[in-house]
Amino acid sequence: MLHKIYLIAKREFISRVKKKSFLVMTLLSPILILLFYGLIFYFSFNKDLTEEVKTIIISDHAGILKEKLEPTKTIQFEFNNGLEESQASIEIDEREAYAVLFIKKSEKGISYELIGKEQASIGVVSTLEDKIEQSLKDQQLQQNGINQELLAQINKTRIDVQTRKITQEGIEEGNSGLTTAIGYIGAILIYLFVFLYGVQVMRGVIEEKTNRIVEVIISSVKPFELMMGKISGIALVGLTQFLIWVGLVAALSGPVSALVLDLMQVDTTEISQQMQGAANTPAAQQSMAAAKQSGPEIFKGLENLNLPLIMGMFIFYFISGYLFYGALFAAIGSAVDNETDTQQFMLPVTMPLIFSFVLAQTIVTNDPNSSLSIWLSMIPFSSPIIMMVRLPFGIPTIQILASMAFMTLGFIFTVWLAARIYRIGILTYGKKPSYKELAKWLFRKN
Amino acid sequence: MILSISNLSKKYQNHVALNNINIDIPQGIIFGLLGPNGAGKTSLIRILTQITEADSGQILFNEKPLEPKHIRAMGYLPEERGLYKKMQVADQLLYLAELKGLSKQEAKTRLKYWVDKFEIKSWLNKKVEELSKGMQQKIQFIGTVLHEPEIIILDEPFSGFDPINAQLLTDEILLLKEKGATIIFSTHRMDSVELLCDQIALINLAEKILDGNVPELKERFKKNHFELSYTGQINLENLPLEMVSVAQKNDLNTALIKAKELMSNKQMIQLLLNTDINLISFAEKLPSMEEIFIEAVQQKNN
Repeated sequence: MLHKIYLIAKREFISRVKKKSFLVMTLLSPILILLFYGLIFYFSFNKDLTEEVKTIIISDHAGILKEKLEPTKTIQFEFNNGLEESQASIEIDEREAYAVLFIKKSEKGISYELIGKEQASIGVVSTLEDKIEQSLKDQQLQQNGINQELLAQINKTRIDVQTRKITQEGIEEGNSGLTTAIGYIGAILIYLFVFLYGVQVMRGVIEEKTNRIVEVIISSVKPFELMMGKISGIALVGLTQFLIWVGLVAALSGPVSALVLDLMQVDTTEISQQMQGAANTPAAQQSMAAAKQSGPEIFKGLENLNLPLIMGMFIFYFISGYLFYGALFAAIGSAVDNETDTQQFMLPVTMPLIFSFVLAQTIVTNDPNSSLSIWLSMIPFSSPIIMMVRLPFGIPTIQILASMAFMTLGFIFTVWLAARIYRIGILTYGKKPSYKELAKWLFRKN
Repeated sequence: MILSISNLSKKYQNHVALNNINIDIPQGIIFGLLGPNGAGKTSLIRILTQITEADSGQILFNEKPLEPKHIRAMGYLPEERGLYKKMQVADQLLYLAELKGLSKQEAKTRLKYWVDKFEIKSWLNKKVEELSKGMQQKIQFIGTVLHEPEIIILDEPFSGFDPINAQLLTDEILLLKEKGATIIFSTHRMDSVELLCDQIALINLAEKILDGNVPELKERFKKNHFELSYTGQINLENLPLEMVSVAQKNDLNTALIKAKELMSNKQMIQLLLNTDINLISFAEKLPSMEEIFIEAVQQKNN
């Protein structure tokens, strides 16, 4: 039996790796991903590239701003206190402004109204609110005799909380940023791997069905062998691709991080310029020194993470998670005749996967030891992703063992389930089966 | 008997596919499994190839119960043909043979024989999708017999073949039979294989309604029909003969005559020679397999 699974896996592997698209995808996708993130990074640090500078005319009937409001990188302010609402439209056109802000005083208090030709974006509104609030606060502070420069200094105060963890060996230095990052990278990799290659398994099964070769193959091997051979062959393709990527990352990380730092340069010089004015005080000098240290800081605590455990668990969940979902994808492929029919069956399989990925980013990262997190890391549908996120924070061994046991039972179960559907599905053509029929297939005799 | 099937039944959820089938197939013959679409032929074949299991009944392969290891002894050409489109011809054929349990070396040696025979050396490195349909059929046939199976099961083998390739296929099948293989043909086109088959079984509505060797069945179902062509006028009065149909073209008459009582060809010719006609050709009209099938179904229904 193993020999036949090996033969099938070998064919799957060779026929996929030999394709030009494999080479292109393997080499191109990391570059595309890097480029993608690079661009996001670049634009978020350089907002002025993506946003034009807008002019907002302020008609301050209440006279609270004293004709003074500091411009931002994307918004500049002009004052025209005599402007009436009826003139707003003409004024906007004449000055090519974005909108007019009317500040009016009544018995109820001060009202702020932004009138423009288009619905103002939430970013503009919140920037505007911030600026006005800041201006009003400054005025009050000044009225109460607080010096502005002193205030600027006070505002520059930064602190950096160091995390430590009490373990049996004593108190260890921790690093929640790094911990989160490592778990998160593991979770992303598992998520992508399961998704991309799971779908490939499904496509492969459909292809064999539509090619009608499946009947010939099934007269030589058992459906279970064909299914397992296909799943493991595609897993090997994925692992190969993964290894190539690891190699590429190792080779490219130097030049790429240099590039990223280069892109960030724009922003850091600006920050230091802004800081220059206040740089003479001791507090500011302290914070500058801390900022310079933050390079090696990133890797602080790395030696205290149990990396062999994390790597081992990663491999376990990587493979078992793929088997768990891959088998389900194979079953879907076998039940339908073409890819358009898969939608209905895909949803219940992909939902838990997407769901756990989203939860991993939010709830679990914020509270890795909440009872929800613990439960999610026990259920095989979500445990491969959730466990990767939780693991670096340190969790009790008993939980790890329980999760692994459930995962193992889980994939044995889905492989069994998939094999039952698969053996009937691959020989059934025509109408797409309903869930009820699929359930019947589980117990039908061969 | 290379295969003996006894009391075989198979039920799907809504219908009976096979009902108590008994068939014996001797070694080294061409066996025809005939019947209309949906009669249960493919269900039977899938059980023989161990793709599915029977609900009840027994199959003996060389007097021993059929087991998974016998998969190697069978070659199966399904009705719906298919190959991996993106795979090269040679890789594909070797893969199929390896799945049947041949070593790569064995598979290569045997492939060489077929490559020389069909002169397909230049195609070996082509992808299947680059080949014409007829070519793909040939490749699939090679895939079916490459591991030299003892039993070759062909489901509607001639569908999709042009006459030249059909003849080629027929020749190969006869050659394989000569070498000792047993061939099981399944088809709903009953006339297409009656010349080829040594024995047949007729299946209708999940049941076997008739089996036996072809000349015997024809003899059993013959209706004493004779076909003759002649010139002149024939007078059948006072003769134990009856005109079934007659057609005239120019001066030549072609007639189908039924003898009212059992009659040998010799007796018939003597009768005819005593009439005034000028006999040009004469033949006993044996029933076609299709006619036998219809007759057998009717008999069964009565």
